[in-house]
Amino acid sequence: MNTQYKKGVLELCVMSILKRRDCYGYEISEYLSKYIDIADGTVYPILRKLKSDGLVTTYLSEDSGGPPRKYYSLTALGLKTYEADKKEYLSFAKTIEALLEDEDYDKE
Amino acid sequence: MTKNEFLLQLKNELKKNNISDLDDILSEYEQHFAFKLADGYSEEEIAAKLGDPTELASQFIPNAPEKKHGGRKLVTVIGMVFADLFAGAFFLMLFIFAVVMGIVTVAAAIIGICLLGGFSFNNIIPGMPYLCAFIFSISFFAFALLSTAACLYFVVFTRQLIRSYKRFHINVLAGSSGKATLPSLPVYPLLSHKFKRRLRMLVLSSLTVLAVSLVSGYIISAITAGNLEFWHVWGWFVK
Repeated sequence: MNTQYKKGVLELCVMSILKRRDCYGYEISEYLSKYIDIADGTVYPILRKLKSDGLVTTYLSEDSGGPPRKYYSLTALGLKTYEADKKEYLSFAKTIEALLEDEDYDKE
Repeated sequence: MTKNEFLLQLKNELKKNNISDLDDILSEYEQHFAFKLADGYSEEEIAAKLGDPTELASQFIPNAPEKKHGGRKLVTVIGMVFADLFAGAFFLMLFIFAVVMGIVTVAAAIIGICLLGGFSFNNIIPGMPYLCAFIFSISFFAFALLSTAACLYFVVFTRQLIRSYKRFHINVLAGSSGKATLPSLPVYPLLSHKFKRRLRMLVLSSLTVLAVSLVSGYIISAITAGNLEFWHVWGWFVK
C-alpha cells in the first residue's frame, strides 16, 4: 500500500488507541502490530509527527518501579482532530467499499 | 543486525536527514529493544521486525509543504492592498453611478406627474396644450420605467462584481499562506429565468411606449402649434 496513505490511516489508529488511555510507545507498537502488518519501528515516527502537530503530549511516569517511561496522551486538539478524521475516514471507506463492490454491476 | 548496529545506523541516518532530538528518538528504540529482549526475542529478530533503519529515519522527515511562505505572503498582502484600493475606487464609482441613475429615474417620474396633473413650480414646466402634456407625461413615465430596469440590473451586476472580487481577495490571501481556497464566483450575476424574462419584458415594453409616445407627441405638438419647431410658437426657452 502507498506509504503516505498508510501513514495517514496509521495516525488515525494511534489516536484511536490513545483516546482509550495513555500509552507508552512500545504498547502502541505491540497493539498495532497485532492487527496490522507493519514494521514495528513505524509507530515512533508517527508518534513524533503527532506530537509536533500538537495532537499528543508526552510525560514521564515511573510506575512499577522500573525506569521512567514516556507516556503519550491525546490533547484536546488531538481528540477533536481524531473525531473529525475518523468521521471523514469512515465515510470515505464506506464510499470506496460500495464502489469496489459495484465493479461487476455493468456485467449483469 | 545487533541492537548497537541498528541504533548506530539509525543515528547516522537521522543525522543525515537533519532530524533534531536524536537522543529522544533513539531512546524510544532502545526501550523497544529492552521490552522485546525481556520477552525473550534475540537482538537480530527485534532489529528485523523494527524495519530498515534508513527507511525509518526517512519517516522522521516532516512532510515539508510549509516553506518560504513568509516573504511571498508579505508581497501578496501588499499587492492586495493596492488592488483593493483600486477596486474600491472603482466600486465607489459604480455605486455613485447607481445613485445618479436612481435620481434621474425619480426626476423623470416627477416630471411625468407634473405634466399629467398640470402642476408647475416656478414655471419650470414649459406651457403646452394639455393633450401634448399628457402624451409627453407618458414618455416620461416610460423613461422612468426603463431607467428603473437599468438601475435594477446595474445594482445586481455591481453586487455580483463586488462579491466575486471579495472571493478573489480571500482566495489570494488563503493561497499565499498555503490554505485551501474556495471556488471562484462568476463575474456576471446568475439571475433566475423568471427575473430575466420580467426585466426583458419591462425594458422592451417601456422602450416601445417611450418611442411611440415621443414620436406621436412631437407630431401632435407640431400639428397643434402649426409649426415643426413648436417650442418657438409656445415660447419655450425664452425668459
